[in-house]
Amino acid sequence: MKVSLNWLKDYVQIPLKPADLAERLSMLGLEVESFEDLARKFDKFIVGEVVEKRKHPNADKLTLCRVDVGREKLDIVCGAPNVAEGQKVAVALVGATIPRNQHDPEGGPFVLERAKIRGLESNGMICSEYEMGLGDDTEGIMLLEPSARVGMPLAKHLHAADIIYDVEVTANRGDWLSHIGVAREIQVITGKRAVLPKVKIAQSRVSARKHATIRIADARKCRRYSSRILRNVRVGTSPRWLQDRLSSVGIRPINNIVDVTNYVLIETGQPLHAFDYDTLAGHAIIVKCAQDGDRFVTLDGKERMLNSDILMICDGERPVAIAGVMGGANTEISEQTTAVLLESANFEQGSIRRASKFLGLATDASQRFERGVDIEMTVFAANRAAQLIQELTGAEVLQGVIDVYPVRAKPRRISLRVSRTNAVLGTACTQQQVIGFMKRLNIRPSSVRKDTVVFDVPSYRYDLAEEIDLIEEVARVYGYDNIETKTSASVDFSKPIFFTSPVDEVRSYLIGAGFNEILTDSLQDHESGYLTQERAVEVLNPVSSEASVLRTSLIPGALRVVQNNRSRGQNDLRLFEIGSVFDVRDERLRESVEGYGEEERLLLVISGRVHAMHYALVERQVDFLDLKGEVEALLSKFCLDKYRFISYDSGSALIDSGLAVEINGSYAGFLGKISKSIAERFDIEDDVLVSEFKTAVILKESITEKKLRALPRFPSVRRDLAFIVEATVPQERIEAVIRGTGGGLVTQVRLFDLYVGGQVGAGKKSLAYALELQPLDRTLTDREADEFVGHIVRQVELACGAKLRSL
Amino acid sequence: MTERIENIRREFTEELSRVSSDSELEQVRIKYLARNGLIGALFDDLRSLPAAEKPAVGKMLNDLKRQAQQAFDDKRSTLEQSRGSREPAPDLTLPGRPRPTGTKHPLTQTMDEIKRIFAGMGFSVAIGPEIETDYNNFEALNFPKDHPARDMQDTFFISKNVLLRTHTSPVQIRTMQRQKPPVREIMPGRVYRNEAVSARSLVSFHQIEGLYVDRGVTFSDLKGTLVAFARQFYSIDVKYKFRPTFFPFTEPSADMYISCFLCAGGGCRMCKFAGWLEILGSGMVHPHVLQNVGYDTEKYTGFAFGMGIERIASLRYGIDDLRMFYDNDVRFLRQF
Ligand SMILES: [Zn+2]
Repeated sequence: MKVSLNWLKDYVQIPLKPADLAERLSMLGLEVESFEDLARKFDKFIVGEVVEKRKHPNADKLTLCRVDVGREKLDIVCGAPNVAEGQKVAVALVGATIPRNQHDPEGGPFVLERAKIRGLESNGMICSEYEMGLGDDTEGIMLLEPSARVGMPLAKHLHAADIIYDVEVTANRGDWLSHIGVAREIQVITGKRAVLPKVKIAQSRVSARKHATIRIADARKCRRYSSRILRNVRVGTSPRWLQDRLSSVGIRPINNIVDVTNYVLIETGQPLHAFDYDTLAGHAIIVKCAQDGDRFVTLDGKERMLNSDILMICDGERPVAIAGVMGGANTEISEQTTAVLLESANFEQGSIRRASKFLGLATDASQRFERGVDIEMTVFAANRAAQLIQELTGAEVLQGVIDVYPVRAKPRRISLRVSRTNAVLGTACTQQQVIGFMKRLNIRPSSVRKDTVVFDVPSYRYDLAEEIDLIEEVARVYGYDNIETKTSASVDFSKPIFFTSPVDEVRSYLIGAGFNEILTDSLQDHESGYLTQERAVEVLNPVSSEASVLRTSLIPGALRVVQNNRSRGQNDLRLFEIGSVFDVRDERLRESVEGYGEEERLLLVISGRVHAMHYALVERQVDFLDLKGEVEALLSKFCLDKYRFISYDSGSALIDSGLAVEINGSYAGFLGKISKSIAERFDIEDDVLVSEFKTAVILKESITEKKLRALPRFPSVRRDLAFIVEATVPQERIEAVIRGTGGGLVTQVRLFDLYVGGQVGAGKKSLAYALELQPLDRTLTDREADEFVGHIVRQVELACGAKLRSL
Repeated sequence: MTERIENIRREFTEELSRVSSDSELEQVRIKYLARNGLIGALFDDLRSLPAAEKPAVGKMLNDLKRQAQQAFDDKRSTLEQSRGSREPAPDLTLPGRPRPTGTKHPLTQTMDEIKRIFAGMGFSVAIGPEIETDYNNFEALNFPKDHPARDMQDTFFISKNVLLRTHTSPVQIRTMQRQKPPVREIMPGRVYRNEAVSARSLVSFHQIEGLYVDRGVTFSDLKGTLVAFARQFYSIDVKYKFRPTFFPFTEPSADMYISCFLCAGGGCRMCKFAGWLEILGSGMVHPHVLQNVGYDTEKYTGFAFGMGIERIASLRYGIDDLRMFYDNDVRFLRQF
């Protein structure tokens, strides 16, 4: 919201420098995001007079103007159609910063230079409203009053020696959405009282009540409706001062009636609406809800669909405004308007918010009503507007305010304990101090007991409802800076402090193993979300179709990362991600919301070459066994020998072939190669190998309590065995027989040679194993070892149809 | 016999001295030292000598054989050495065999460091789901229905009362529902906002929330704890200020600012020429929130705070565009 320093000074003295005011307001929670010195903005802008106008010899649409700027006469090339001799205009001199560039779609500022335009020198610029940042008119140059003094700095002429603050109003402080509201906050800083101006109206003898009836049908949604009626109104352009004030806070002047309602809105925060009195059927106002499916054309010319929750202002026959949001086109002020009914009403916050949301229409009025407008402001605002319209147009103001106020608001009283205040803030404030702080906020003590003070809260402070709200006010006025910073932290050792989670250890391990951690978006496009067989969770109101479904797997996101990296020539990738995946499910998981599954996964991805190019290494692409080796290393680190690989059927198009992993009998995840069709979809030519795990299963079975197993005291014995088997016999079967037969004595079985080819015969293969025999209680003799190994050989021969091959 | 021995010794020594290549050396070996070479032949002759001469001549022969072998070995290593000096020493500047290096994502690094600092102050880690109920995400946190405070966080809805959490604060509710005070937890996690994606805003990002509820916790402790954090995380002599603000679930509420660490408060692009950087939001837990989880608000008070990890990390590493965190270009990742 824009706030004018000059305007604020109408209500409160401000003995502060502009920058200090900004800082002090921010430190009270009314954040000043930036402020602008208009005088500086219009540096090198001057009032000029067009004394001569000639056609540009080389361009039809341009004219060459001789402009008197007091000290000298400048030749300026001008493109505006409305320029004419004798006009008083705003001239930017060479070197001025033009606030908005008409030819730039973004409307950014630029510095004016001396230029040749179609062969003629131009020594300045005659500016439009738009270029000056004073309005949206880009059609022609801005015309100043004929009385404007040639040579006067434009800022001075526009009374623009002002500072404009851009403030950010928090959602709880509707009262700040007005100049009087900001002025009251300045009162907190300076102690100098902020007051609204006195209103004086010359009322006619004709009673307003005789000329209109006002009825509130829904007193819950419309809490108060105050009205003034004016006759003999002349609608026209507002005087310069009013236009300037509105423009300075970013409101476009329209006509004197609407401008006054806006002026009072900005002054008091009370939204007003002016109806053309003569268009109101039966000169009646009835406040009631719309019917579902009703349609209504608002001031902006748009037809709006209504519902039965939306409160409407109606006349004797039809709706004429959406209460608290926007007026209707049917009763709009026009040039023909001669009588005006002013609405100054108060609507319930939630109802206006629902209407505004439903309509997708947020206005200056709705924004204020949904935050809460001072219910005691309606009459003042109606009077103030009547006064200004009378001053501007000489209108007749009918006798009296029609004020329908069904349930008078009770003044709010809140008790505050000084002890509690100090207990929450860590301060040592006295009762006197607390009362003093409150007085600055117009919060007056109504009764004072030992520790407790009962305060009367002003009607505009909707945010103050209970003790903690007043404690906050104490903190604000006392100053957050003045509250002690207690840096002696105490640690509570009565409960275990969990700092690292087991998943952190998995992460550290993978980093050590040479993987780069990635983090990808969990919102994906529809197609990616449904690449797995899961029922994906969809967002009802996605920001784009690219982010409309929650991921069911970490794989699609990672493939995107592989694709992006490959497009930048980064093909050798070792990546991992730890993150949640989601699905719709019927059974309830611990912690997740009913109906939805949420599960943390770990994904490993490898692709490209095994290692960077090196003269002493043979270059090759990663394959399934590279990934399997990584998985084996990871699982044996965290789960020792509790995992096993089983056959896997993904049932999805993602994976060609692969293996599933079981840890202690629970399914933990899988590993495999991304299918050709999916890889092609991501423009990936190389193999991509992925392994996705449920981290919970790994962590559940991971070894947390570590106990030392005594190291062997006797030497181990190595024996090598080679078998020839049918090529179709899986290696795993032979290894299982060796281990099974070997019992505890065989501590290691390593396949060190695999040979398929001529020497072993067609359809056969040779597998060579190194066995480590590790006795626990004695040294094994050669004979014992040979006998034991002989037994293993016989079992393998029997179980796998193998033949021992001499090494 | 003795004379022949001395002749052979002389001839051997002379021929050996002339040797300059491996092949010449081999010829000498075959001529003298091989089994049927000249020295070997002398041993054969030894057998035919009278028994009385055998010991003395045998000793001479053995000496000859030993000395010749020694001279031969020396010559061979000399030859090897001279050959070696012509070949260069192994080139230790050759590149080592490559090993892949892993990296922790900068967002994880930032979160870990924040966790570490708060762990030092006795905070444990708690987490919660990303799909949340409207109740946990808003109502229990004192966001009334139909209140403009809800506009502060544009929400993705899954169904009428289920949504993607807009902040990590619902974990506060879950934590307090689960346990009685004292509660001292930090809650990292991913959150979602229904906003257009740009260099400055993402639809999903990370936060760390903190919560401390106990007897006698004050605003003064809030300041102390967060200043202690800033001193550890940013710099030990960091300048700070707390500014009033509004969050529905805390009161009083405060935004914490630190002096810009790039320009030391002088003003620069990073701090938008303010000299200050907003690093987190905080406040005393609103009594309504404590009531909603069944805590006695007369007995217990507490504070909560939250910060956006992407923002903290982008300031820290000088990253202009938040989207880089999720692009996962390995040339980016490998810098951390
Ligand atoms: Zn800076």
